[in-house]
Amino acid sequence: MSLFKRKPSSHAAADASLRKKKVALVGNPNVGKSALFNALTGAYVTVSNYPGTSVEVSRGSALIEGEPCEVIDTPGMYALLPITEEERVAREILLTERPDVVLHVVDGRNLERMLPMTLQLIDAALPVILVVNIMDEAERLGLTFDFPLLSEKLGVPVIAAATAKKRGVDDIRRAIRGYRLGSHAVFGYSRRLEGDIEQIARMLQGEYPLSNRSLALLLLQRDEEVAALVRRTEGDTYPAIEELVREVTFSRRETFHLDLSMERKAIVTALLQGVLQLPDKRRVTMGERISNLAVRPLTGVPLLLIVLYFGLYRFVGDFGAGTLVDFLEGTLFEGIFNPWISGLVKDFIPWWAIQELLVGEYGVITLGLRYAVGIILPIVATFFLFFSLLEDSGYFPRLALLVDRVFKKIGLTGRAVIPMVLGFGCDTMATMVTRTLETVRERIIATLLLALAIPCSAQLGVILALLSKTPGTLLVWGACLLLIFLVIGFLAARLMPGETPMFYMELPPMRMPQLSNILTKTYTRMQWYFLEILPLFILASFLLWLGKITDFFAKLVDWSTPAMHLLGLPKEVAVAFIFGFFRRDYGAAGLYDLQTKGILDPRQLTVAAVTLTLFIPCVAQFLVMKRERGWKVSLGIGFFVSGLAFGSGYLLNQFLLVTRLV
Amino acid sequence: MIRCGYCGHEFPEEEGIRSCGRCGKPGSCRMVRCPRCLYENLPEPQVIKKIKKVFGSQK
Repeated sequence: MSLFKRKPSSHAAADASLRKKKVALVGNPNVGKSALFNALTGAYVTVSNYPGTSVEVSRGSALIEGEPCEVIDTPGMYALLPITEEERVAREILLTERPDVVLHVVDGRNLERMLPMTLQLIDAALPVILVVNIMDEAERLGLTFDFPLLSEKLGVPVIAAATAKKRGVDDIRRAIRGYRLGSHAVFGYSRRLEGDIEQIARMLQGEYPLSNRSLALLLLQRDEEVAALVRRTEGDTYPAIEELVREVTFSRRETFHLDLSMERKAIVTALLQGVLQLPDKRRVTMGERISNLAVRPLTGVPLLLIVLYFGLYRFVGDFGAGTLVDFLEGTLFEGIFNPWISGLVKDFIPWWAIQELLVGEYGVITLGLRYAVGIILPIVATFFLFFSLLEDSGYFPRLALLVDRVFKKIGLTGRAVIPMVLGFGCDTMATMVTRTLETVRERIIATLLLALAIPCSAQLGVILALLSKTPGTLLVWGACLLLIFLVIGFLAARLMPGETPMFYMELPPMRMPQLSNILTKTYTRMQWYFLEILPLFILASFLLWLGKITDFFAKLVDWSTPAMHLLGLPKEVAVAFIFGFFRRDYGAAGLYDLQTKGILDPRQLTVAAVTLTLFIPCVAQFLVMKRERGWKVSLGIGFFVSGLAFGSGYLLNQFLLVTRLV
Repeated sequence: MIRCGYCGHEFPEEEGIRSCGRCGKPGSCRMVRCPRCLYENLPEPQVIKKIKKVFGSQK
């Protein structure tokens, strides 16, 4: 999408006396912009996609205090520097349509969080009126404001409103009618930042839709669209500007975004002194208490362990993979369904090969369907239920903050929690999401760790089910994975050139999870997962059957036997590893089968579980790795992970033989 | 509207990043990724969309 396009509707192209006054509503999502838009415009509204985008913009006509106006409801934006397409559209409207009045709508309950954008709009020399909305809720929380003082400090009109209840709408109308763009406040940053801004702003000679000061800041924030605009406008002098911007950004590469954010925060804090009065005894909500506990290492780590113990170990492991699997797989499939269907097939189908295909050792029904419905389904159902509960509560961003310090040691930041958490759902998608990380170095480290040490939901569930019967094995497995995750991450961070970027994020409020949300999310994830795995399980069963009747499979197991013996495992475990090529969870389910047959003792079970968890990623994940990182890196990771898995398995086996821990 | 399960950003479903089907998995995964942080979210169930249609959608 090109920014700052010339439009016939631009007031530069039209005589101001002939056109309606333009009023643009801007602000974060969910601050009541649409309610205000509806209150101002009534029924004369058109909703259409902004040209060249899929973003909807509402426009309406209104008679405000007798003056005809066009009111534009822009998409939600958090800052003048756009990240999303919505923000891009909102900014383009501000800068190309040149509204006569910009109503910045903010949430009175979170004034401190929203004023930084007000500063940016004022800094950009836009005709701002600040509408502090949702005042009814803010007052209910005991917050009191001195708006005349805030207006004086900002140099722009400030209106208190509760637009959902039509409160303040008349004041807003009067403010729009009487608005005259005059002088506004200038907010001083630190001497160093002011020096940087001044140097760049001084070099800008062209005509721009926003102030040079604001442009300079956007250039320093690497805003490519603004850079393109300046390149077009300045012409021959642009290389010198670009060089200066490059020098400044390079010298401040580590902390610029954080510094700017902190400085704006400091300005807002100063602005609010004497303006905002908090109640003497502000009621700290339960959500805030839990949030505080979750992000402090001293309380956050124990809380995380409690969450993992009750959520993963007791609920997914004990209940899902124990009680539910025992019933579905043991009682229903092994006890009732499989004998019945086997008898039926053998009675009606005389050919041995077809009998084997349907109800044999690797039968589509007796193995594929049993694995999918009897073992995997209850495990992923409980896992997704637990995952959706955490997601809906807002715990994940707090986890990101908690692990940020540890992640920095392994070359990542808290931002990498997103792919890591998603990896516990599905590593394939998580590998795709590594593209959200800032540097190539981070992406490669995250991809490697996902392929190596993060088991997907089904694999995790089955492994938990396997090992929870002997808790010692589960502890050893967990400790091994954590140790390998940290050691490999630490080494990768040391070996790979580059620096770890800064990480900061705004924490959304913690919420009481809603049952309807949790059930909806669980159901949707289950539906998607099950539709995806069932055909694959059937295909895998078919390939295994093919391998069996052609003896290829037996040969493969024979070839793998020396490797299995090195790990101290019986040769039958090779079957689970071969299954693992198709899908990680299929391999884990194969291991589950072997354990129920009594083939593995606790030591062998632990070694097999650790090796299988670390083992090469499934086919889908490998394909995504290849797409995201290219052949060279993917094959490198594949070989490295496989070698490390067997090496770790071998060492663990020797260690357990000596120590007899399990 | 979808509220991102990770960063809390609220966005209309059509503005999320739809599954691209390029992950090597058969079919599409139906997930909608947050345009702000790319976290995978679930689309609104059809039944809720229908209810909203009946009662008039809110932007």
